[in-house]
Amino acid sequence: MRVPAGGRDVLRRAITGQWRHTAGGAALAAGHQAGEALVPVVIGLVIDEAIAPGDGGALARWIAVLALVFATLSLSYRFSYRAAERAAERAAHDLRLDLTARILQPRGGAETGRLPGELVAIATQDAKRVGAVHIALTAAIAALAGLLAGGVALLRVSVPLGLLVLLGVPPLLLLAHLLGRPLERRSGAEQERAAHASGVAADLIAGLRVLKGIGAEATAVDRYRRTSRDSLAATLRAARAQAWHDGGMLMLTGVFIAVVALVGGRLAAQGDISVGQLVAAVGLAQFLLTPLSILSWANGEFAQGRASATRIASVLAAPYAVTGGGDGLPLPVRGRVRLREVFCGALRGLSLEVAPGELLGVVTGDPEVATSLLRVLGRSADPSPGAVELDGVPLSGVDPAEVRRAVVVAEHDADLFEGTLLDNVAAAAATPEAVPAAMAASAADEVAGALPYGAATPLTERGRSLSGGQRQRVALARALAADPAVLVLHDPTTAVDAATEARIAAGVREARAGRTTIMVVTSPALLAVADRVVFTDGGPSAAVGTHAELVHDNETYRATVLA
Amino acid sequence: MTAFRADPAEENTMTATDGSRAGERELLPVASAARVRAALRELARPHRTAALCGLAVLVAATGTGLLTAPVLGHVIDLVAQGRPASAVTAPVVWLAVIAVAQGTMTALGVSLVARLGEGMLATLRERFVDRALRLPLERVERAGSGDLTSRVTNDVSVITTAVREGMPSLARSVLTIGLTLVGLAILDARFALVALVAIPFQVHTVRWYVRHAVPLYAAQRVAVGAQQQRLLGTIGGASTVRALRLTGEHVGLVGRASQAAVDLALRGTGLVTRFYSRLNLAEFAGLSAVLATGFQLVRDGQVSIGTAGAAALYFHSLFTPINIALSLVDDAQAASAGLARLVGVAGVAGETDEDPREAPSRARGPVPHGPPIRVRGIGYAYRAGHPVLRDVSLDIAARERVALVGASGAGKTTLARLIAGVHRPDSGSITVGDAAPGPDGVPAGRHVALVTQEVHVFAGTLADDLRLARPGADDDELHAALERVGALAWARALPEGLETTVGENGHRLTPAQAQQLALARLVLADPPAVVLDEATAEAGSAGARVLETAAAAAIEGRTVLVVAHRLTQAASADRVVVLSDGEVAEVGTHRELVRAKDRYAALWEAWSDGRRP
Repeated sequence: MRVPAGGRDVLRRAITGQWRHTAGGAALAAGHQAGEALVPVVIGLVIDEAIAPGDGGALARWIAVLALVFATLSLSYRFSYRAAERAAERAAHDLRLDLTARILQPRGGAETGRLPGELVAIATQDAKRVGAVHIALTAAIAALAGLLAGGVALLRVSVPLGLLVLLGVPPLLLLAHLLGRPLERRSGAEQERAAHASGVAADLIAGLRVLKGIGAEATAVDRYRRTSRDSLAATLRAARAQAWHDGGMLMLTGVFIAVVALVGGRLAAQGDISVGQLVAAVGLAQFLLTPLSILSWANGEFAQGRASATRIASVLAAPYAVTGGGDGLPLPVRGRVRLREVFCGALRGLSLEVAPGELLGVVTGDPEVATSLLRVLGRSADPSPGAVELDGVPLSGVDPAEVRRAVVVAEHDADLFEGTLLDNVAAAAATPEAVPAAMAASAADEVAGALPYGAATPLTERGRSLSGGQRQRVALARALAADPAVLVLHDPTTAVDAATEARIAAGVREARAGRTTIMVVTSPALLAVADRVVFTDGGPSAAVGTHAELVHDNETYRATVLA
Repeated sequence: MTAFRADPAEENTMTATDGSRAGERELLPVASAARVRAALRELARPHRTAALCGLAVLVAATGTGLLTAPVLGHVIDLVAQGRPASAVTAPVVWLAVIAVAQGTMTALGVSLVARLGEGMLATLRERFVDRALRLPLERVERAGSGDLTSRVTNDVSVITTAVREGMPSLARSVLTIGLTLVGLAILDARFALVALVAIPFQVHTVRWYVRHAVPLYAAQRVAVGAQQQRLLGTIGGASTVRALRLTGEHVGLVGRASQAAVDLALRGTGLVTRFYSRLNLAEFAGLSAVLATGFQLVRDGQVSIGTAGAAALYFHSLFTPINIALSLVDDAQAASAGLARLVGVAGVAGETDEDPREAPSRARGPVPHGPPIRVRGIGYAYRAGHPVLRDVSLDIAARERVALVGASGAGKTTLARLIAGVHRPDSGSITVGDAAPGPDGVPAGRHVALVTQEVHVFAGTLADDLRLARPGADDDELHAALERVGALAWARALPEGLETTVGENGHRLTPAQAQQLALARLVLADPPAVVLDEATAEAGSAGARVLETAAAAAIEGRTVLVVAHRLTQAASADRVVVLSDGEVAEVGTHRELVRAKDRYAALWEAWSDGRRP
């Protein structure tokens, strides 16, 4: 994936990626507009050549021509719009996938400072807006064609009348645009306030359980009513302004048509043009307003598309969280992990050594230290200064995806995904056979047993259908099934009951026998099965020993794990 | 140990057991067409005057606008009669006057129609939120919370679009069509009659369209929802995806979901374009009929050429309003479906005994702080035939702190929710204080607050969030509540202190801070009794201790039931209740139960094994 420089680049790539559809669509749409322009012309011809002289044969001929015009405009509309829509949807789809790939890129960095909901909105709404530029582009090209056709037709009727319309329409629309501009700006702000009401409602519904828990429903309803009334007032102001703007447009176009009728009527009275041509001219003057307003609409769409493209570009071009280092790891990975005076986040000179196959417990009283440690171990962040080495190779020189092939970091709040329980556990499994063993070791088999369809039960809303303890066990099973050379577990059992936790501790020890495992925990049940425990505050000095020794000798440690 | 093996079918799995397969969900009801109409009539009643005025003004505006064509026809006649060029000036001035009058009246009429629509919409959404927030939680959970959320977001926004964009243009289009036909009839009744040739084509087209569009758009909404869900899951879990090297797989999953939505959208486009193509046929049929009629009438000398020209122009100017009106069929369809879903929820509240006018936080009878809670023989099942609780009886003395202990799946959470009044017991009764149980065995009124691991930070300022629990609280009270749960230090350190915007789009609180906020709300709500369920589990082990201290401060002086995960919580409680397979297995103080050497003792053994020096 090439990283685009900015919004303009995103927009340009989206358009060039679909140019075939857009070009074909625009050609057909031009046919449609030209057809629409011809309808009043044909009406005028019917009046002149059939109705005025009372010629029945001419009537039949011209109605046949009208049928032809309608067939052409109808079919070209049909296929042009389809082509434009296809281009729009495909471009949006491609952008969506580019964004997803960037966000999930092993080097990370795209989520920094953005909530998931915001990123999803960019991948859906903004991608859609950029895609919609194709529709605007098609429509704009067609509108230009319509303008051209209408203009030529008018000039053929009468040069002064044609010039009047063609030169009169642009200033008219410019005037309308200028009138509309302050309105647009103001109503934008007011619509935002109006949208606020539905945002507040969704927020209250999302917190429904919390509101119910403390009996705050009535207060929340009162609060919502006030927000809703404020919104209503803002919306009404915006609607009123919009109505007067539209009314003003009606006046302007009406007066314009009157001027065309005045000039055309005088020309016709002087015998310069026929009655039918007068009818056609008035019809064309009305028609020409449409392509011109399409152009101004398309202009608005382009502006929105540009803004969306800029947001997309800022995600696609977000700096990586870790840069440099694209090497592989020497295989097989033995699993010797060493931290050399690592500084990163809350880590201030931490050194640590883990032997291959060791089951190490790391205890810290500061959650930030735990988070930072996990980040450097999984190369979500690089230490500076300091180094994290695996089998003597600094991780900062290794491709992050390769690091995670050897080192799996199972975070405390790891997410489950849509799919069955088994899908989740098997998602990253080293081999299919690893799955049942991992489920037994993490007591996830009990979770499956409690579900209506066992391990085949689908999990909804990121596993929210499970309780906290059940989710943790499934996530642990997934990590164990991955069977990496180095496994880092972070508080995997905080919501699990004590008896199950003891079983899990034994299960983890057995499942990880001979493989390096680092448990960043404060659970005595897990610490008791560790070969060695390091008690750290992120600084250079750390207390090391078995769990029993540390409990015995270190009062702070005792307070931290035995609260 | 074996006694604590999870019972295969229960506890927190309730949403999984009845919510895991979409087909098994019991979605919230949808109102019938008749009920929607009744609800609309009721909503419109207070705006009747504005509606009638708006309609009258719009009719006048449209009528005025239609004068344009006959005046143009008059110009044509003047020319055809060979009158001097100066004769056209007078009718042309009339054209300008007509335009100004039409513009003014349209603006006025549309403003009034907007007031009607927006006013109704505001009342509707307020009523919906009111009912939705008072729905029994049990009902919401049976439906899945997504059902309610999608109604309050998608349906409300669909209706808003229809009201804001559809209604004014529909009103104007329909009026234009109607009055144009009247205008045609005034020119000559035969013009209006032949113009009706287009109608069968249009009726047929619309019926064909609705038949195909409704199921297609329903499928499209589902696909777009699935795509959204997929993206939210994948992007929300991005760090997990990276840690497990699932990037390729997840990009593939998003790609499939997106492709499905794209395919359906393109099918929709195919349908829409065919729809308009067919309408073109109606335009052609009508226009040629009007032209042929004009030809005939002019030849027979019954109308002038000007009239025939005006009739053709009239009909040509009908194309746009007809297309607008018919295209709104779509929006109208979506809006009425959304409306039925909103009105449907309003109906649920009517069926429950929870009176929407009564603030649920207010007790029916006075309940002193720390009332005793009496649970008598309650049973409960999420699915018939799979009881989660069987004949559970339990007494919690005034101001007592009882810990509920048991393996996952023993029924702890269910019992906690029953006592908090979230669910109704299938049998037995629950009494809080001296209040007699209600007809369903639910404690009368709501005296028992429930705090769970689920935290939500409401969008708005921190102070507003806290005031949800006590609307009239002054800053001192807010500070005191935060102080009590140990949150004052970080709250003060926020960029704008208590006035900092938090929640979605605001300052992001850590899970532990959000939970402290929940406890501060509890302090402010000041309920006589509290149920804490896993309220301290989410923060990870280091954060948990901070929260436990905060929770202890928040519940002081109340009757408390704690669903205990860390057995230290049980050890420090006044009494411990051990649940096993939905039944009360043991009750006693921590010491008594440890001495009894039964289930609790085994559990304590497992817990404290590694803790002993």
